[in-house]
Amino acid sequence: MNKNKYLAIIISSLLFACQPYEKAEKDSESSAESVPTGTLIQKDMPKSFQMGDHAAQEVIAGWDIDIRPDGMGLPPGSGSVEDGEEMYEEKCASCHGSFGEGEGSWPKLAGGEGTLTDARPTKSVGSYWPYASTLWDYIHRAMPFPAPQSLEDDEVYAITAYVLYLNEIVEDDFVLTKENFATIKMPNQDSFYVDDRPDTSNTRCMENCRDATTITEVLGPEYTVHILEAEAEAKLKALSSNEVKIDETMLANYNGACKVCHSVGIAGAPKYGVSEDWTSRLAQSKDTIYNNALSGLNGMPAKGGRSDLSDDAVKAVVDYMLNSVNAK
Amino acid sequence: MKIRVKAKEKNGIVAAKLLIKHPMETGRRKDKDGNLIPSKHLTTVTLDYKGETVFDAHMGTGVSKDPYISISFTGVKGESFEVNAADNTGETAKKTVKIK
Repeated sequence: MNKNKYLAIIISSLLFACQPYEKAEKDSESSAESVPTGTLIQKDMPKSFQMGDHAAQEVIAGWDIDIRPDGMGLPPGSGSVEDGEEMYEEKCASCHGSFGEGEGSWPKLAGGEGTLTDARPTKSVGSYWPYASTLWDYIHRAMPFPAPQSLEDDEVYAITAYVLYLNEIVEDDFVLTKENFATIKMPNQDSFYVDDRPDTSNTRCMENCRDATTITEVLGPEYTVHILEAEAEAKLKALSSNEVKIDETMLANYNGACKVCHSVGIAGAPKYGVSEDWTSRLAQSKDTIYNNALSGLNGMPAKGGRSDLSDDAVKAVVDYMLNSVNAK
Repeated sequence: MKIRVKAKEKNGIVAAKLLIKHPMETGRRKDKDGNLIPSKHLTTVTLDYKGETVFDAHMGTGVSKDPYISISFTGVKGESFEVNAADNTGETAKKTVKIK
């Protein structure tokens, strides 16, 4: 949902930026607003906005300093663990500790293997980082702390090699070079994976899509869904049951006031849709449940903290939650 | 158990830094299920230089995980010394280090 908003902002700023160009180059009467947004961003970008200067290769090279996991972007060079130790002692150890253990509360560089599932995990280069390229990039970009980007490429190679050695990823006679960089495999690399959860509950449409102007948002108990306006009423009706009428206002009240605790069970709140949580509550009369919701109980503030809601509005939401566990 | 050592000589004095990777379990801590975690802690750490023990530490459960020890002694650059560590479960570790 937020993503769409940002996209809208980006598109509108593109529109704004292109306007003078459209008029000047094409001498057309139609303003940029009349062009459908979908087609505008697919057009070729103009060669020039008639301001600024073209970036020379050297200028781009100065900014293009990132290093990719496969070693892309690395300059030629090399450095040994042995050389790295000396430089590390001189430039790094005062904060990160002689063995990467971290002085005071400065970052630990080594250790913490197997602690990622602990309550207080130690995320170090060895225990957490997926790629060694980040190490090279970070040292080159931001270290040493008082003098960033002061290190020569070979020095960065050497210090990177030494930090890998501190994490027992390479042996003490190892020499790190541009060529063997990609062979380094970090211990925690395989624990990272692409998040396969969908952004929304909607399926992505690639062709013959619905007209965006007729789509509306419907708040659901789990997701906000985007459906055709014409279908919205039917959707709400389907969510409703004979006992409980579900409408936009009630769902908005639930999402705004109750969901924060009742969806995950904060402060002992009975969870939406989880029958066991409600068993003891349901032993009471419905009026008691209503009253508890209206005047508050234990961690539950009166009306869920929304004193502006009418009693009936709160009762409607209580009904909605009770309905989720098939109680009347 | 793994010992890391750095030793540097300056004006005839060797500054040695030791980091021993060790869980230092006291035997009184409990795991998630409430069972006691068996004790596993260092008992002795020694540093021998030219056949002489220049440092001898007896440790118990009061020492933190991954102990860090710093020692100074008179020594010569290029020579070697030996660090030995043992814990209450009988595990030992040994490292020979050249003074830089």
